[in-house]
Amino acid sequence: MTGLDWIVISVLLTGIILYGLYKSRTTKNLEGYFLSNRSLPWWLVLLSIMGTQASAITFLSGPGQAYADGMRFVQYYFGLPIAMVIICITFVPIYNRLKVYTAYEFLQNRFDNKTRTLTSFLFLLQRGVSTGISIYAPSIILSSLFGWDIFWTNIIMGGMLIIYTASGGAKAVAYTQQIQLIIIFIAMFMAGFMVVRMLPPDVGFVDALDISGKLGRMNIITTGQTENGFNWTDKYNIWSGIIGGFFLALSYFGTDQSQVGRYLTAQNNRESRLGLLMNGLVKIPMQFFILLIGVLIFTFYQFNGAPLSFNARLLEQGKNSVVKDSVQMLQVKIDSVNQERKETAVWYFNSKDASEKIFIGQKLKEQQAASDGYRLQFRKMTERTSDADANDTNYVFLSFVKDYLPAGLKGLLIAIIFLAAWGSIAAALNSLASSSVVDFQRRVSDTGTPINEYRLSRIHTLAWGVFCIIVAQFAHQLGQSLIEAVNVLGSLFYGVILGIFLVAFYMKKVGGTATFIAAIIVELFLVVMFFQEWFARVTGIEAIGELPDVSFLWLNAIGALGVMAIARLVQIFRR
Amino acid sequence: MNEKEKEVPFFKDWNGWYTLVIGFLIFLIAIFWLLTEFFS
Repeated sequence: MTGLDWIVISVLLTGIILYGLYKSRTTKNLEGYFLSNRSLPWWLVLLSIMGTQASAITFLSGPGQAYADGMRFVQYYFGLPIAMVIICITFVPIYNRLKVYTAYEFLQNRFDNKTRTLTSFLFLLQRGVSTGISIYAPSIILSSLFGWDIFWTNIIMGGMLIIYTASGGAKAVAYTQQIQLIIIFIAMFMAGFMVVRMLPPDVGFVDALDISGKLGRMNIITTGQTENGFNWTDKYNIWSGIIGGFFLALSYFGTDQSQVGRYLTAQNNRESRLGLLMNGLVKIPMQFFILLIGVLIFTFYQFNGAPLSFNARLLEQGKNSVVKDSVQMLQVKIDSVNQERKETAVWYFNSKDASEKIFIGQKLKEQQAASDGYRLQFRKMTERTSDADANDTNYVFLSFVKDYLPAGLKGLLIAIIFLAAWGSIAAALNSLASSSVVDFQRRVSDTGTPINEYRLSRIHTLAWGVFCIIVAQFAHQLGQSLIEAVNVLGSLFYGVILGIFLVAFYMKKVGGTATFIAAIIVELFLVVMFFQEWFARVTGIEAIGELPDVSFLWLNAIGALGVMAIARLVQIFRR
Repeated sequence: MNEKEKEVPFFKDWNGWYTLVIGFLIFLIAIFWLLTEFFS
């Protein structure tokens, strides 16, 4: 890191905070603070929706995912445009007509107190913990690669944005997200351009895709079909993307207050709908280009040799641990295969003969498999001896930035990680505060005059900010496996919350109690199904371990449809 | 619903927008499929 990098980071981060404070002036009541007086145009709503969904990990994990597993992750978003249409037809007009502050307020209107309380509680629990993790996840990557202190990185990642979020509410969040996204797009475009420029002179953009394609990284569409039929545990394929992704997007955009709160800030139905529909148009291309950067980086490393691990801390610890001799041997092996790979890749591009190209392509695959094998051996070796993250997928992009990009651009790309984190965390804090004030405190105590409610909302935002930073600090102590479990836990709640809303919208004859019972039953079933091995071991009931094993994207569909079906049944029996 | 709500830019009603979004998804999937085949 050079002085120029530090200047770029400091200017951008300070600039965003000052701009957020400048945009903080709002009417001192709940409508002004949480919904920006329902005054924003569609394009600001669109950028706010995108800025909320795109967290730091989107920009770190995306290229890494493409590097390790190819482009097929893009299919995860195929259900999103369909979900946008459904939300525009059903959800938006009802929320706007009822003039709700939170999505859960509608549930009291439609059902009863307890269903609203359960749903908003599930939201607060899931969003509160996952926001803490979304502070920690990019912080640990930056800390590992640059040797920064994790405590202070967490504070800057999750703390600085509280200044303008608590001060200006939804308006400050939306306006800062707009600037943040523009800077992020410019920086990512520059990063992609630089990767192509740093390839050998006779290797162009299409050549880069060609070689990645030969090595299985241009697998944009996959069907999940195997010799034994459809693979239900396959995470990303066109069917899990369209069906599972549809339910996930419907739940996230239709019922998660961090998103609902964004389009409730729109002037009217028209502006909310346009913001959402435009998001349906741009989200997949945006994600495609983020993944494409990962594919280009993959080609870049064909010529420059991938390290044993992109996690610099893990590599360092491995080289100084009890297994250092084995690590040294692996290093020699990977250096040798890297050199061969470089020569083979040059040979591939110079070859004009089609049949020779097929032969060289096969050779490249073998060398790639050897390199992957050494990296996997290193991972297994160090998993036991190090506390650093052994899975280095999320480290690929920043490791490339750190090692190869010029001063200034390096600072810019590190700054956008903070900006992306701030954008999504700010919206999360705003939504957490709106739910805890409107769905809880306002119902149990007298919150007084509008100005008192406004002050109270600022205190809630601040308190949620502190809570999320504490979660981030504890996440550091709890280790990586638990963090993954917490992320999975989030996907366990989404389907059930969506199911409650779908019953509310589409099953007029089903009441609150039936829906409440169904939600509890399905939630328990999903938790038991997902952690079936653990439950089977603890309870000694082997049948639990026989439950179907499915990828987490399908849980959203099972949860939503399960709540609808069981709520209907319970309603019939209650008559 | 007031007059301003009824105005939908580019299309006479919302169905045009919904068709555009779903149509664009189908178009993208087709392009992605072609790219997958071309670079495999």
